[in-house]
Amino acid sequence: MGRTSAAMAVFLFLLLSLFSILQLVSSSPEIRVLSAERRIDVTAPITRVFLTLKVENAGTSEVSEVLLAFPPTEAEHLAILKASVAEGKRKKKTYVPLSVNPSESPDAPNGARLYSVSLRSPLKSGEATTVEAFYVLTHLLEPFPAEISQSEAQLVYYRDSATLLSPYHIVEQITSIKTPSNKVESFTSVDPTSRVGSELRYGPYHDHGPYSYSPVIVHFENNNPFAVVEELVREIEISHWGSLQIRDHYKLKHAGARHKGVFSRLEYQFKQSISGVASFRHLLTKLPPRVHSVYYRDEIGNISSSHLRIDSHKSELEIEPRYPLFGGWKATFTIGYGLPLQDFLFESHDGRRYLNFSFGCPLIETMVDDLTVKVILPEGSRNPTAAVPFPVDQHLETTYSYLDVVGRTTVVLQKRNVVPEHNIPFQVYYDFNPIFMLAEPLMLISAVFLFFVACITYVHVDLSIGKSS
Amino acid sequence: MAPTPVTSPVPIQWYPMLSALFLLIGLLVTASFFIYEATSSTRSRSLLKEAVSAAMASTFLGFGSLFLLLATGVYV
Repeated sequence: MGRTSAAMAVFLFLLLSLFSILQLVSSSPEIRVLSAERRIDVTAPITRVFLTLKVENAGTSEVSEVLLAFPPTEAEHLAILKASVAEGKRKKKTYVPLSVNPSESPDAPNGARLYSVSLRSPLKSGEATTVEAFYVLTHLLEPFPAEISQSEAQLVYYRDSATLLSPYHIVEQITSIKTPSNKVESFTSVDPTSRVGSELRYGPYHDHGPYSYSPVIVHFENNNPFAVVEELVREIEISHWGSLQIRDHYKLKHAGARHKGVFSRLEYQFKQSISGVASFRHLLTKLPPRVHSVYYRDEIGNISSSHLRIDSHKSELEIEPRYPLFGGWKATFTIGYGLPLQDFLFESHDGRRYLNFSFGCPLIETMVDDLTVKVILPEGSRNPTAAVPFPVDQHLETTYSYLDVVGRTTVVLQKRNVVPEHNIPFQVYYDFNPIFMLAEPLMLISAVFLFFVACITYVHVDLSIGKSS
Repeated sequence: MAPTPVTSPVPIQWYPMLSALFLLIGLLVTASFFIYEATSSTRSRSLLKEAVSAAMASTFLGFGSLFLLLATGVYV
């Protein structure tokens, strides 16, 4: 009996020590967040968050990466995540970008997704550094009521947590939410909470443990047009004869509160300040400078309500869809234009040619659910490779255009969830022998020459039935 | 050395003029070809002469129509 109880005690002790070791390993006590400041901007349909973390290494070993946690609802809408660290003092402050990679951790609760930020130099024991993170979320604002009539304003819900979700212990934190106007219907109060004008402030909160989460809902007015391009196909066709032809096929949707009841054009025209405030009739497109031959049409023809302003730095195309767009309404149209070749096509030192063009959607402040960029290379191009600064799906296709025999090699780049922050240049490299430029004129010449050969043959062949004299 | 921009082999402003010029020469040579075909008899006809003028005419007409396509905005 005594022997068994002794064995039990030893077993229990072993079990307990095992548990404590596991806890030590899993809760990663090396890093402590001294202060966290989160600034959330919900003024546009796209949610932008600036996060400033002051992290301290409270452990004994060196730390080379900091983890950022996102709840699953945010993680699936995360369009871009950038981190940087400030270097230098006040005036000579420069931000050095840090690499961010998705990370896995077994102790992340309820499907929280982790991203690890690699620090430039490992953080020694007792040292502290400030990491700045910037991320963009789409489709996070939920219209409520989900259906509004023409004269009503659009109200939306924003759901988040008053405290920052983090795998670390946070000593002090503050969250501020910037709404488009001071018309805030309601907000969850988690003391201390204050509201000044259009800014809602949660915190400061002290000493919250890892993965603490206190959900809050903010209900406010957001009359911004929720312009969402459900599908955008961009075709960029390179012609070595001096032009770049671009065709953008849009499937645009107003993703705000759905329109309820009938649409009164009279009311819409006469009471513009109160009627259809959440709808939109204009769209602004930013095009590169020196654009020419711009056209804008949809399936049933040309739409003439557009304005093009060209200056030396940029071109702006303001377009009106065929009808004003209310919540839930869609518009499908195409914008096409030409650009001078020498602005975008270059030859590198090793003789390869490359296209340098901006990724993303030219419509300003618009998110794209599904973006496809097709770069149609000239006939005879070989070994195409694309260099895009973020992960995209890519494959090759063959496109047939004017005077083609074997077809043009096409590089197809696909990306989901694209925001204006993705409007950065990408490159497509390819090999091209200039002799292939002669293929098109040779084709035309041989066609005309065949006609002459037919004429010569006709004249030389005697087709008469009777005996020639 | 910075990467050099790739330009068209012929300045694009010249396309309409080149197109008109080449098509004009091409049509003149075509005309002379057909005049020769119509006026010469079967025996006096020289195949070489026909072939040379046909080749010249098709070269000018081919380049002329290419520049016409380019000038009208059909970038091949």
